[in-house]
Amino acid sequence: MSRILREIADAVEAGEVDDARELAQEALDDGESPQDIINGGLLAGMEVVGKYFKNGEMFVPEVLQSAQALDAGMQVVKPLLAQGDVTNKGKVVFCTVNGDLHDIGKKLCIMLLEGSGYEVVDIGINVPTADVVAGVKEHQPDILAMSAMLTTTMGAMDDVAKALKDAGLDESVKVMIGGAPLNQDYADRFAAYYSDDAVSCVNLADSLMSA
Amino acid sequence: MKFYEYLSKNELGQMHEATLQLLENTGIYATSERFLGKCAELGLKVDGHRVYFPRALVEKGLSTAPSHFSTWGRDKKYEIKWGEKKAYNHTCVGTPFILDVETGRKRDVLMKDLEDFVRVADALPNTDIVSCIFPQDVPTHAVVTMQTAAMVKNTTKPLRICIESAHETNFIIDVLAAAVGGMDELRANPIAYLEISSVSPLSYAEGPGNGLIDVVEAGLPLGVIPCPMMGATGPMTLIGCVTMHNAEIVAGIVIAQLLRQGAPVIMSPRVTFMEMSSGLGLWAAPEMGLAAIASAQMALYYDIPCTVTGFSCASKINDEQAAFETFYNSFLPAVGGVDVLGASGSLDNALISSYEKLIMDDEITSMIQRTLRGDAVNADTLAVEVVDAVCKAGAGSNFLSQKHTLRHVRTELWQPLVSDRQSYGAWEAEAKSYPDRARELAKKLLAEHRTDPLSPDALAKVEAAVQAAIDAGE
Repeated sequence: MSRILREIADAVEAGEVDDARELAQEALDDGESPQDIINGGLLAGMEVVGKYFKNGEMFVPEVLQSAQALDAGMQVVKPLLAQGDVTNKGKVVFCTVNGDLHDIGKKLCIMLLEGSGYEVVDIGINVPTADVVAGVKEHQPDILAMSAMLTTTMGAMDDVAKALKDAGLDESVKVMIGGAPLNQDYADRFAAYYSDDAVSCVNLADSLMSA
Repeated sequence: MKFYEYLSKNELGQMHEATLQLLENTGIYATSERFLGKCAELGLKVDGHRVYFPRALVEKGLSTAPSHFSTWGRDKKYEIKWGEKKAYNHTCVGTPFILDVETGRKRDVLMKDLEDFVRVADALPNTDIVSCIFPQDVPTHAVVTMQTAAMVKNTTKPLRICIESAHETNFIIDVLAAAVGGMDELRANPIAYLEISSVSPLSYAEGPGNGLIDVVEAGLPLGVIPCPMMGATGPMTLIGCVTMHNAEIVAGIVIAQLLRQGAPVIMSPRVTFMEMSSGLGLWAAPEMGLAAIASAQMALYYDIPCTVTGFSCASKINDEQAAFETFYNSFLPAVGGVDVLGASGSLDNALISSYEKLIMDDEITSMIQRTLRGDAVNADTLAVEVVDAVCKAGAGSNFLSQKHTLRHVRTELWQPLVSDRQSYGAWEAEAKSYPDRARELAKKLLAEHRTDPLSPDALAKVEAAVQAAIDAGE
């Protein structure tokens, strides 16, 4: 691997946004291919971040800073990619359910999912059941992810699952849920998948995509 | 007892000044048209969805909030004297899970569990205010009304209710009024205080905004309970997060006071935390206790009644970690001066309830309340005379047979609820741990304790109010 790709990876790992942007440009000027910059530099750096995070050696705000560095590099390289060159691991539609305004968990999961290579469509907070179904119809994701923070609002997830079934969408999309009051037993009631925290959310998405 | 000052008066003054700045320049975000309309009527500066608070109005609102008032049990022998900083204990609200008392395993809370848990809280000697765990087998749209009904049926103690779904507020109030014989009686001697939760940072959503107005207009005591998460929905400094959510609480208090001068209000600060290696929410020691004492001192600064979390911990079972975390989080704010310590009976960052923990927290409460009682220093307690008499009475003399001893023997020594104080030999015969003994007491109370029932007339009215809440959602 070339020295500059190594430096790009290091910049992502250190969360140095300006460095990542400038080094990505420098690499392009040096004749590195956009694909190599992404895979050998930006994503390689993010992979290290992911490992540190899993081991508890990096903290959430530091991971988000790295994700921003990754994004800064991507912005430089992306316009040069041909259509079809950008592949992602899968498409996720994400919301907090009807009645729930607490979205810090959703934001955290989205940043980690995006950092890990997913395309995520955030359809917002406090999303009525019909709008969740409409979002799934419109964006045709592989995964629908829902979060609820309150014991009073988690019941809305059940409603969404029923509505998806009524709309005939339950076969084409996998449902992933998370939030403090939930657990796998609750998810089992409507054949959904539960993850404990933001890290396992990404792991769960990976396992659903490879299933 | 002199309260422990974690922060100085000068530091509290700086936090108040920062609070004023936030309210004046940043303001709060609100979505309810009704709430925004009221704010404009009251003279606050409303610009679109933002409400700004001129300093003079904040000072005015803070000055009319009462420093003392009482709430009661359905049985009038239970009185909560707000403002006297007695560190009353209230049970944890909203836990969706419970440790099954037979199997010890975590499972969903059902309505039967709520009734049982409330009944055990009713029986315990130092559990002062009852809140409710969260049953998962009832219709969501009427759940808080049904919880409230289960509470008035199963305890005669004072209640605390979180209005998590504001559309139910009026049904909840109907249940409370039915239990005490009408709205006038409820207003005169409230058996509950009702809490609304702003959404951090500095935002009042539709539900809490309307709930605030409903509670104040009903003439019932209002609590304001924001739960920012430091570093996520609040700044990454403890003082900054305490100050920001103080501004949220003060906003609610000021609006309540401008709506009705002298309305009973309660500050319920709850700074929470994020485990930064996973994103999980933490209600753990030591941060929970530190934020609680800092926040409680702000309430003392304003001379407004205050509740903090107290009995929370991150531990999942009733082990050593649960005990020392809980003791830290409750003792620290209590010695700083606080009216109520919340979350008793909870584990796993206030997500699991446990009978064993409820009993441990009841016992910790009595230890804290023994501390707050203080130790008076006077001629009688100094006991110089009795020491002199015993020492001069000659060899073999001791204190056991002194009148002074007899007079104090039942008040000076703290009495445990289930803690072991036996000789080793006596303990060894059964060799039970604290959770073992607590579980035995819980089972005994579950089998034996009967709550004084509601009158048939009151019961019928409570059931009618519940039915109305259920019908409203169908």
